[in-house]
Amino acid sequence: MLNKIWASLIILGISFAFAQDVHDEVYNTHSNGVHLQFKFIASNTSSQQLTLLIDGHKLNASLKQKQKIQIHLDESSPETLVKLASANSQKHSLIADIISKNNSSITLLMPEMHWQKLREVTQAAFDTAEFAVKLALGLIGIMALWLGLMQIIEKSGLINYLVKFIRPLLSWLFPNIPKDHPALASISMNMTANILGLGNAATPLGIKAMQQLQKLNPNKDSASDEMCMFLALNTSSVQLLPPVTLIAIMGTQVSELIIPIILATSCSTIVAVAVAKTFTARRRKTI
Amino acid sequence: MMQQLTTLIIPLLILLVITHGLIKRIAVYEEFVEGAKEGFTIAVNIIPYLVAMLFAIAIFRASGALDLILNALSPLANTIGFPVEVISMGIVRPLTGSGSVGVLADLINNYGEDSLIVKMAAVMFGSTETTLYVLAVYFGAIKIRRTEYALQAGLAADLAGFIAAISITYWYFS
Repeated sequence: MLNKIWASLIILGISFAFAQDVHDEVYNTHSNGVHLQFKFIASNTSSQQLTLLIDGHKLNASLKQKQKIQIHLDESSPETLVKLASANSQKHSLIADIISKNNSSITLLMPEMHWQKLREVTQAAFDTAEFAVKLALGLIGIMALWLGLMQIIEKSGLINYLVKFIRPLLSWLFPNIPKDHPALASISMNMTANILGLGNAATPLGIKAMQQLQKLNPNKDSASDEMCMFLALNTSSVQLLPPVTLIAIMGTQVSELIIPIILATSCSTIVAVAVAKTFTARRRKTI
Repeated sequence: MMQQLTTLIIPLLILLVITHGLIKRIAVYEEFVEGAKEGFTIAVNIIPYLVAMLFAIAIFRASGALDLILNALSPLANTIGFPVEVISMGIVRPLTGSGSVGVLADLINNYGEDSLIVKMAAVMFGSTETTLYVLAVYFGAIKIRRTEYALQAGLAADLAGFIAAISITYWYFS
């Protein structure tokens, strides 16, 4: 299923971008080859510097030889022009041909823009590949911190108190993990962190739990029943306190959403557990 | 109150762990380093899984296919009186964390914080996780490629969370 979803995201994305670009080419949505008229404020006729006016935006431009003009762009420039510049692999300027020019206006032929959507899609693919590495490497520090603390918690036996407290629940969810296996300790730490809304602690602790579940896994390449159950619990996000990001976006408004969130997350967790249990039972039957 | 609680938990937990370790005569520093060593290997293991997942999602998002799906759904949604904007949160939430933050911010911009649509989207945001990211990170860390039925369970939970968020928010605020 993951293979199919993954492939369809890519295939849908690229085909849709392609279709859009074909549409843009056929109807010339980017106005390729259309002459654009700009008003300009002539400061000095002999000067090479001009100030153009378009849609209420002021743009600085400088004349180049051979009937060309270079328009300088910044963050406040019209979006279409910035897009056009980036389509021609320029960031801060755009070079256009001068068709005609008089005292108050100038007519320009902008560079052409083709296959813009596909270009954006490709750029997005490259950018995220880079971002994924940054994201993973950014986890190193926080991961090391929590794994270090977790090691002390395990060695000192502090974890046993927590495990004792939620063992009945855990032994129902994960019947096949031996009673004193360290995986139970990590799972209970991860669940506690989730419940308290400590997202950045929950991930390292969850990974630790996965590593210990892997030790029990007979087939190292594919996920065991326990892993699927554990992942389902984590994706349905068991929690009592809202995630920090939500507090950041919504501010104090979050407090009136706490009860609906707890109710909704309980529903999703129940469904996650039920689905995982059903699959486990079905798998057992076929074996 | 809730925010204060979250702020207090971590320092108190660290204090408890270290003190308890000392009382039990554990070489706390050495054990910490021993555990922390794994942080790097895990992060590096995750990279290929994360690249694969995020790049596919990025292509889908950048193509604007999502907007097309929403446009196609909106007449259907309007006839049953269902806010189509909420569907975008439902689709984006399991795919990308930053994307769903964007959707929520966008809805707040368009409808205001007090609107029912924003509340529904916020409850949805708070009650489920970025399933594909969690899957890539957790299974990537232990190099599991065949995810069996984990994705089905996760997506079923997302769907349940989606329906629950809409109906519970509707019931709770009216």
